[in-house]
Amino acid sequence: MKIRLRINAHTHEVETRPNQTLAQVLREDLGMTGTMMSCGEGECGSCTVLVDGTPVTSCLMLVGQAMGRDIRTIESVGTAAALDVVQQAFVDEQGFQCGACTPGFIMVAKAFLAENPTPTEHEASQAMSGNICRCGAHPYIVRAVLNAAGILAQQKGSEHEQSEL
Amino acid sequence: MMSEFKYHRPENITEAILLKRDLGDAAAYWAGGTDLVLQCKSGKRRIGHCIDLTALQDLSFINAAKGGYRIGTLTPLSELERLNADTPHLRTIRDVAALMCTVQTRTIATLGGNLCNASPSADLFVALAAMGAIAQVTGLGGTREVPVDAFMLAPGKTALTGDEMLTGVFIPAPDVPHASAYRRIARTVVDIALVSAAASLTLDRTGEKINEARITLGAVAPRVIRATGAEEMLTGRPLSDLIGTFAKEVGATAAQSAKPITDIRASAEYRKNMVAVLVARCLISVSTELEAGL
Repeated sequence: MKIRLRINAHTHEVETRPNQTLAQVLREDLGMTGTMMSCGEGECGSCTVLVDGTPVTSCLMLVGQAMGRDIRTIESVGTAAALDVVQQAFVDEQGFQCGACTPGFIMVAKAFLAENPTPTEHEASQAMSGNICRCGAHPYIVRAVLNAAGILAQQKGSEHEQSEL
Repeated sequence: MMSEFKYHRPENITEAILLKRDLGDAAAYWAGGTDLVLQCKSGKRRIGHCIDLTALQDLSFINAAKGGYRIGTLTPLSELERLNADTPHLRTIRDVAALMCTVQTRTIATLGGNLCNASPSADLFVALAAMGAIAQVTGLGGTREVPVDAFMLAPGKTALTGDEMLTGVFIPAPDVPHASAYRRIARTVVDIALVSAAASLTLDRTGEKINEARITLGAVAPRVIRATGAEEMLTGRPLSDLIGTFAKEVGATAAQSAKPITDIRASAEYRKNMVAVLVARCLISVSTELEAGL
């Protein structure tokens, strides 16, 4: 079947089959391999993308279910030259080792911080509980999320000051 | 690798039900699909047609209704866990939803999917059955209501027939004191329940006597079951009896209703023993909530 997907603010026409998951189409048909696939059973969270702003395990979602919705993948977050605040926080706090789980964590962190800009450590670790890091960087990841929250709050504060000037 | 199937995307309930009627058993309603997709991936299940319900967003809602609440079948677990719950049963629903799968799967998985997957360990199923919730079923023949505790017939098998679709559940909120609780044992947060229990008590107008008790058990029989012996022990008793060892005695009686099997997750003996513990914990939680007059 031919379907249209709205991914990272671009419309893609894809020839695919109904039994394909969103994760498969992103990686295999569109070559967007930033979204990782590990367990394929919705347990590890490495395939997380945002659908209409909420995190979704794309290995469990049929591609048909994603039609007409706003899909955001890791490819829309920062560039190598200018990392997103959350990405920079993961670097600064060493929130990874091998990096295979990192795109999933970053997408969850982005959605979480949009909803809760001033999280407690407990809230941050709860929010990150659907992702598994087999290198065991979890404490550093939670620190990265808290660090990013602090920087985003500072940025917002200085924007506010500027607008008052 | 999932086998091939045809994809259908109805725009409304009638269209969905007509598709199901025409396509028959080869077709499956696909709500969030988080259980179905895994069954298809593993080859445990093969479907010829997927009737994707994504477009039926008017079936995603949480509304106050006469004598209780209605929750639409397509309401995702992530909406349930965000419930701004000011009534006892909705608080329980919120807490149960927050226990299930993971943050990023709760956004896909739905209330109706959890019930229609008909797993004896389904968290929401056990809790809703204890609350006396009613499943709302619609087919070409009209609509009907099925108590949730009668909705599961066997693992993977529900009371739905032919073209029927579960459209939502009604959760009673009587105007006398009532409360409910759910407890489970799971290996990890992501794993399904090894064994689970829920309890719901409704008091008389004075708030002192138990008028109705419902206790349900998960993962200890081919379907979610009620522990009727334990319920009988509670009915008509003063709420204050739950202080002390009585909750444990009721738990031990509930364990008699359990008919568990041994599988990779737990032994039958362990499950039976844990039923006693979980039912007692549920009852202590419910009586504490009722004593506090929340």
